[in-house]
Amino acid sequence: MRALAAAAIGLAAALALVLALTAIGPPDSGTSPKPLLSSIPAHP
Amino acid sequence: MRRPASLVLLALAVFCAALAPLLRYYAYPRLAKVPPGQYMATVLEARDATLIDYATLQPRQVAKVSMVQTVKGDARQARKIKDATGRDVVVWDTLTYVAGPDGAMVSRIPERYVFDAHSQQPVHTGGEQIDGTPVRHEGIEYKWPFQVRKHDYQYFDLMTRTAAPIHYGGTRTFHGLRVYYFEQTVPWTRVPVPRTLPLGVTPETVRQLGLERWYTTKRMFWVDPTTGSPVNGEELHREEMRWTGHPEKKPITAFAGDVRMRPDYVDSVVHLVKTQRQLLLLLTDYVPGGCTGLGAALLALALVLDGRARRDRCAFGPGVAQDGENTRMGDPRPRASLSEGGSP
Repeated sequence: MRALAAAAIGLAAALALVLALTAIGPPDSGTSPKPLLSSIPAHP
Repeated sequence: MRRPASLVLLALAVFCAALAPLLRYYAYPRLAKVPPGQYMATVLEARDATLIDYATLQPRQVAKVSMVQTVKGDARQARKIKDATGRDVVVWDTLTYVAGPDGAMVSRIPERYVFDAHSQQPVHTGGEQIDGTPVRHEGIEYKWPFQVRKHDYQYFDLMTRTAAPIHYGGTRTFHGLRVYYFEQTVPWTRVPVPRTLPLGVTPETVRQLGLERWYTTKRMFWVDPTTGSPVNGEELHREEMRWTGHPEKKPITAFAGDVRMRPDYVDSVVHLVKTQRQLLLLLTDYVPGGCTGLGAALLALALVLDGRARRDRCAFGPGVAQDGENTRMGDPRPRASLSEGGSP
């Protein structure tokens, strides 16, 4: 019984971590202020 | 399992074993997406190219023609579309700017391209356009989906404004990266004349001269399969001005050249892709693989510890205390051999 409870705790922790990660998601960047280029840049 | 240590190890083992598939099959598809505010410029060059002189309507050889492709994500518009549709989308405003050897403009074609941030499939929410004309994008453009497969894709052509197959041509090594090679040939096709040309030439001017624009290209991409980002691109590009209704008249070559990515941009893109692919591999390979191994090791350790505990209990019997003190009547075994934890 205690083994089952331990396994359930491990599973719940993994689920919680993954759900939290996906809920937070990657940071959303804003629109860049740089213009669309109409000249040849010297370097990247 | 009664020992606290075994139970903790078991919980950790289950945590690791569950985390591996959850990261790979649940988190990764949700987290891997093109950022909405991406900004990127790429410069391509054609050395010893042929370019039309609009003043004389004659082709001339030039030392170099440059093509600057800028991609700029409109994060605000992407958020609006997400609020309306619930889909993660990316709205790219792009500009393909072609410059002659003196840096003067040869043509400029703006575009708005809206696509799903996860799958790269086009999303038709309005606002898509090329050179001011509404279009409906099909297939992929500029970038492949994450986890590129070894098969053909439909690739959208900016000039013909249609999608056609781009064929998988094998695996190559490029700047230390294992990449997939793709190739597409667009046959001679009549295409719209760009709205912005040198010397104030317009599509109407070209039409009045009795000319129309035709184009063919062989397009090659070297694509990183993890990120779906091309790390190199090349085009054998040809454009002609043909006389409308007069196939017997010799066409005027408007552009002919082998367009390649400038080496400094190749290095820059390769560096960026090498960094980005590590982040994706963390979710698809490194962490799930590590968690699986660690989970198995922890489970084995938990079982070993538990097995030892059971053996100890069997050896001492129900009346034996944990410190090995023999309380059973008539047991002649010495205390030392039991306290070492060996087999009974």
